[in-house]
Amino acid sequence: MEFLSYFSHVFEPVSLLLLIGGTIGGLILGATPGLSPTMAVALLIPFTFHLQPSQGLILLGAAYTSTVAGGAVSAILLKIPGAPANIATALDGNEMAKKGEGAKALHLAFMSSAVGGIIGVLLLIFLTPTLAKWALAFGPSHLFWIAILGVTVIGTLDSKSFVKGLLSGCIGLWLSMIGYDDIQGAERFIFTDALTGGINIIAALIGLFAIPQVLDMLSKGRARSAMDAIEVRHQSLTASFKEMVSNMRALSIGTVVGSIIGLIPGVGGQIAGLVAYDQARKFSPEKDKFGTGHAEGVIAAESANNAMVGPSLVPLLTLSIPGSPTAAVLLGGLLIHGIFPGSDLFKNHAAVAWTFIDSMLIGQVLMVIFGIYIANLAAKIAQVPRSILAAGVFILAVFGAYSVQQSMGDVHVMIVLGIAMYVLEKFGFSAAPLVLGLILGPIAESNFLQGSLIAGAQDGAVIYFLTGYLNLFLIALVVASVGYAFWSTMTSRRELEKSQKSGLMR
Amino acid sequence: MKKLIATLSLSLALATGGAALAGDYPDRPVSVMVSYGAGGATDFQARIVTMVAGNKDALGQPIVIINKPGAGGRVGWNWFATSANNDGYSMAAYNVPHFIAQSIKGGVKYSTDSFEPIANWGADPAVVIVGKDSKFNTMQDLVAFAKANPGKLTLSGAGLFVGHHIAALQIEKASGAKMVYIPTKGGGAAAMKAVIAGDVLAGVNNLSDAYRARQAGNVKILGVADLQRNKEFLPDVPTMKEAGLDIDNSSVNFRGLMVPKGTPQAIIDKLVAQVPVMFANKRVAKRMKAGGSPMKIMNRAEVQAMWKERKAFLAGLLKGL
Amino acid sequence: MRTSTKKFQQIASGGTVLLVAITVAWLSYTREPASAFLFPRLISIVFLALSCWNFFRAVMGMARIGGGLDVTSAMHITPGLVVMLVYVFWLAKFLGFYVASSLTFFVLLTLYDSGNRSELSNWAKRALITAFFMAIMYALFAFVLKVQLPRGMFI
Repeated sequence: MEFLSYFSHVFEPVSLLLLIGGTIGGLILGATPGLSPTMAVALLIPFTFHLQPSQGLILLGAAYTSTVAGGAVSAILLKIPGAPANIATALDGNEMAKKGEGAKALHLAFMSSAVGGIIGVLLLIFLTPTLAKWALAFGPSHLFWIAILGVTVIGTLDSKSFVKGLLSGCIGLWLSMIGYDDIQGAERFIFTDALTGGINIIAALIGLFAIPQVLDMLSKGRARSAMDAIEVRHQSLTASFKEMVSNMRALSIGTVVGSIIGLIPGVGGQIAGLVAYDQARKFSPEKDKFGTGHAEGVIAAESANNAMVGPSLVPLLTLSIPGSPTAAVLLGGLLIHGIFPGSDLFKNHAAVAWTFIDSMLIGQVLMVIFGIYIANLAAKIAQVPRSILAAGVFILAVFGAYSVQQSMGDVHVMIVLGIAMYVLEKFGFSAAPLVLGLILGPIAESNFLQGSLIAGAQDGAVIYFLTGYLNLFLIALVVASVGYAFWSTMTSRRELEKSQKSGLMR
Repeated sequence: MKKLIATLSLSLALATGGAALAGDYPDRPVSVMVSYGAGGATDFQARIVTMVAGNKDALGQPIVIINKPGAGGRVGWNWFATSANNDGYSMAAYNVPHFIAQSIKGGVKYSTDSFEPIANWGADPAVVIVGKDSKFNTMQDLVAFAKANPGKLTLSGAGLFVGHHIAALQIEKASGAKMVYIPTKGGGAAAMKAVIAGDVLAGVNNLSDAYRARQAGNVKILGVADLQRNKEFLPDVPTMKEAGLDIDNSSVNFRGLMVPKGTPQAIIDKLVAQVPVMFANKRVAKRMKAGGSPMKIMNRAEVQAMWKERKAFLAGLLKGL
Repeated sequence: MRTSTKKFQQIASGGTVLLVAITVAWLSYTREPASAFLFPRLISIVFLALSCWNFFRAVMGMARIGGGLDVTSAMHITPGLVVMLVYVFWLAKFLGFYVASSLTFFVLLTLYDSGNRSELSNWAKRALITAFFMAIMYALFAFVLKVQLPRGMFI
């Protein structure tokens, strides 16, 4: 309970001011397309040079949690997921916004973010030594199987057709291999100079989601239809809270999945939201409603991507191993003050470490307050005329894609992928599995190669990849996931045929 | 049309003269491209050594870091050699021996002739580490094991043809024992994790990161691949020579700033005069020391000599591969 | 008639994906070094198998998901798409990012605004919206994020 005694440090005037500033700034930066949490935290590092260690960390911690949540704003309102963590939020959140339920979607997003986030930080506080051991248990062979598990999720994610879902994933896996191969440096599938750096995941994300959206708006032409007059429904906070509590299943699935995935070094929060979304759908009695603006989808995705924040810091704080790019940047924030994280961090620098962790708890609450305030304003975006929205989203997408690496090549890749995705979507392919393939490809490949090299020096690939409890457990999950996906498409097809037959009879 | 504008702007530049241009330089923020991801050792150090760029006695304009990670640095340096503007507003961090080894190995669009060094800020030697519960306590233990079990000793490192790989190659050559080098994706941090978690038996890593990991009680450091012991951080760790392996300082990771070929000489001169002063700033030194990062400030001539020497050595080492 | 166009479109899209898969597989198995293409080879086989299956379903008329493209939408999209492509591939670098972006934003508004184009007040309104939007973008990217956007003829 040591952490309770440091709450007073968080409420010192300068610290509180930094916490509020970091939270508001983080929400805005997070809502900017192209600015991932990693970039946002890296941008703030220079500011911390002038601060006390604990104050600097409060700023960075507040920015980390609130940028992850802030990404939900652009994902829901504009269908531009600013970072991979928010992809799953966009799937149902944007549909809700289109129905005029933007305020509700944002409320749910922030509230479930806070619930997931607080539980994640509590895990960090109470279970750190145990969790650290778990985090180290994942070697190359296990990470390979986790990536494969992610790939099997692909087939069922946001696509009505099993084959086309898997095929979209395959296209993503292929796209991820474009550019220099990461280990040997060999050129692979480089057709033009813009591709030498490979396909940047953030730029691709913006293109794959935002551009089809823009083209869809343009396809309606100049005519103003009755559909346009969306009534933006006002949403009371109590109603949102009740809605979240009534979706306990999605909330707990999101939190549990997010915490577990956040812990695994090297996989990080990128896929937490997507996997939680997929699991929430599999366990939901209203499977068909996912993707049409269903509250459960937003709740699962957002609780997962914030629940991952706390556990993702476990390997960093106890072992000095950053488990994700954002954790690596946070490590930099500690190092410039001469603080070396490690098992004795909580002994040697207790005030800094606990104040930091406490501020992340308070930060979650502040995030909800400010997030909900902007939600009520921002939800009106659904009433903005289509022409302005289309032009605005497009320009924002271009700026966002450019600013990731300050590269025009990324903008070209972004728009080409976007146009291709628009056409593919018209034929039942979908963007979410494609992005998942793009994220998982490098994880699967590098761990497979590393594992094979290690296996070669030990007892061979079969023993290395196929024995051991953790390997077997993960393989069992893969088999279960594939089996379930196959079984559910079969039953749904049978139902489809049945309904078509009855339709013919009529 | 484009040609006309190009001619116009060129004549304008000639009329105002290169000196006047350098006189105003820099009148907007300068970017520094880092070929590794945010949070890596190079990125972290680059952010610290450039933090006082906005001061009057430095550039007078802030420096912005841009990360272009991928393929052990090849992506960023390829971009820098082919697409970066040579107007002085685009600088990049170099890592020696990484980019020189890659250019010798081939398949990239740069060599030492593509870049103009400005100044060096740091030198991070490679060290050999093992997990804290490892049965190896000295380099001799490690080499003895590798000799008795050829091809069984796994060594993790940050990638192929980077400083860690060079060090591993040198160790293999000097000891005559066959080892397995495991390049990790995700830089030194991932290679460190592999050692601490016991995925591999040993690893090559940066002195700065290894020093921290040892402070945290996670690893043992067996040897440092440099000419002298590191007095500041690791006075108790023997050099490879002391451990009986004939290895010089060729794998030491030198980090510094450079501009692309074709940058006006007047701008290079100005940077060469001011950048070392910026590196030598007291606040920079304090932050670097706090982070466990050894500094080594070298001027342009020294860097040019160092590049040349490394190039000759690496060409010999990598010939057989 | 409609169903046959739809089937034809499904076959065409399935065929295109199949062609891509064949190219990927061919490149994976012919390029060197083989060790760097180990993983691409593995993926390309799965990719190829899935696209064959998909193509087969399209030919058999089993592919029902996805409505395909229609002429009216395509006609509506074309002018906007041309503006977007010109901006991204040429204008942005030629004029400078902010000027080109303002121009593109304004032209897109003009092309797709439902208001009457002959009324002067509508033109003023669109110009005002453009100025407002670009001012926000400039504040965000130039001041807060310090992103250096490509410079062209103008800033």
